[in-house]
Amino acid sequence: MITVVVAPPFATVQDCGRTGYRDSGVPVSGIADRNSGVVLNSLLGNDPTAAMIEWAVAGGVLRFECNATVAIGGADAIGSVNGTLLRAWTAVDVSPGGEIRVERIVRGRFLLIAVRGGIDVPMVLGSRSTLLSAAMGGFNGRRLRDGDCLAIGQSPLGSVDRSTVLPHALERRGAIHVMRGPQAELFGDAAWATFLGAEFAVSRASDRTGYRLEGVTLKHHGLASLPSEPTCIGAIQVPDGGEPIVIMADGPTVGGYPKMAVVRSADLSRFAQLVPGEKVRFVLDT
Amino acid sequence: MSAVIETPKIQGLGDDALLVTFADAISWDIGVRVRRVAKLVCDMQLEAVTDVVPAYTTLAVYFDRSRGSFAAIATLVADVVAAVIDEKGGHVEQDSVLVEIPVRYDGPDLAEVAARTGLTVEEVVARHSSRTYRAYMSGFVPGFAYLGDLDESLVLARRTVPRVRVSAGSVAIAGRQTAVYPLETPGGWHLIGTTPVTMFDATRDPPALVRAGDTVRFVDVDR
Repeated sequence: MITVVVAPPFATVQDCGRTGYRDSGVPVSGIADRNSGVVLNSLLGNDPTAAMIEWAVAGGVLRFECNATVAIGGADAIGSVNGTLLRAWTAVDVSPGGEIRVERIVRGRFLLIAVRGGIDVPMVLGSRSTLLSAAMGGFNGRRLRDGDCLAIGQSPLGSVDRSTVLPHALERRGAIHVMRGPQAELFGDAAWATFLGAEFAVSRASDRTGYRLEGVTLKHHGLASLPSEPTCIGAIQVPDGGEPIVIMADGPTVGGYPKMAVVRSADLSRFAQLVPGEKVRFVLDT
Repeated sequence: MSAVIETPKIQGLGDDALLVTFADAISWDIGVRVRRVAKLVCDMQLEAVTDVVPAYTTLAVYFDRSRGSFAAIATLVADVVAAVIDEKGGHVEQDSVLVEIPVRYDGPDLAEVAARTGLTVEEVVARHSSRTYRAYMSGFVPGFAYLGDLDESLVLARRTVPRVRVSAGSVAIAGRQTAVYPLETPGGWHLIGTTPVTMFDATRDPPALVRAGDTVRFVDVDR
């Protein structure tokens, strides 16, 4: 059992996502930085679908009531585990009464705290991911609060990997690769030159449903909106105002704004880790 | 009414989905074809395919890249699309369920809708509850089904200032469409009534009460 002694402003239980219900309007959800989640589950010998805590914004404290093995990654954070300096990207043993204290996140948006066996919350529509808008999945369909007690799953797949993942395996720098979106042709050469030449800033109005980008506006020569059509995580849609919105894990399954481009799936994790105010450039895959 | 694109276009929606575009304007006939292709693709039970989402004029097929390639899935989907386009005669909706939704016409915008349409409140209620609607697609939030077509006399643009909070169970209209808000969300539609029915319940199978292709009637509980 894990007790949330001090919850951060935003922490939810997430796994690799919920598929099969997009036709009823249910987004995939899941860990925003999927690549890091895969690495942590692998270090712990977990099933790739094991759930973990996705932790954002600020510090907090977790206390373990039993022996456990944890792995922390995603964003870079300062803190301690069992009273010694927090080490990321490696398995760490925790004994009963041991604590994970996160002082603050220093780089990136989402800190991931994984435990061997996974966080054991009920499966809802095939996933343990929290979807706040529908108050479903995860821990009672909501953010973690002070005093919450999380159960730990008892069936890891394999043995713990005692190595440390080298940080360059999870490189964060560099432009985000995109592909042309379904409405790419509605944007002329000038709009594309602007899009690929500009430096955008991630807006404060960004969350797990979508990241707004500021700094440059994009014009298209189509109708303001199309008949709503399916969208996807990473779709870069351009509403009337011209400032793009990138659909994220909890975003709507359909939408009527033209989709100029779509973030390559391999780069979604890196993109998800951008914080408000951080700059980003895009490069087109050919 | 709508220009059917002779050969539906299949293109990438990112690198793990494909989007099939059947037409550039909404029509019921196109929707029936979209859903027929969706059903046939689902029935193939391809291991790589995770979701098939029909919409007004388009269909998306999402897949797991570790289990199938874009090219392979695009070929399979193209074959299904071609077969459906070649089918002669009427496309009849399959697996369509009739859902009756009891409504108390007590929405906060009912009087305004009546005023703006030049109808009495009773006429608005009668025109909304006397029709049989079809679900064109689902989206926005879990369980939100876009139903049409609304009586011409009730067609109004969305509210200029959307509400920050619309309660779950609100029955609403906007444009040529009507819908029930399944969850408390922000919303810009005109609220004309409420229903006690649960539109989305994750513990139910299927979780959504109304799915694309289904037929819906609103029943005035005060009549």
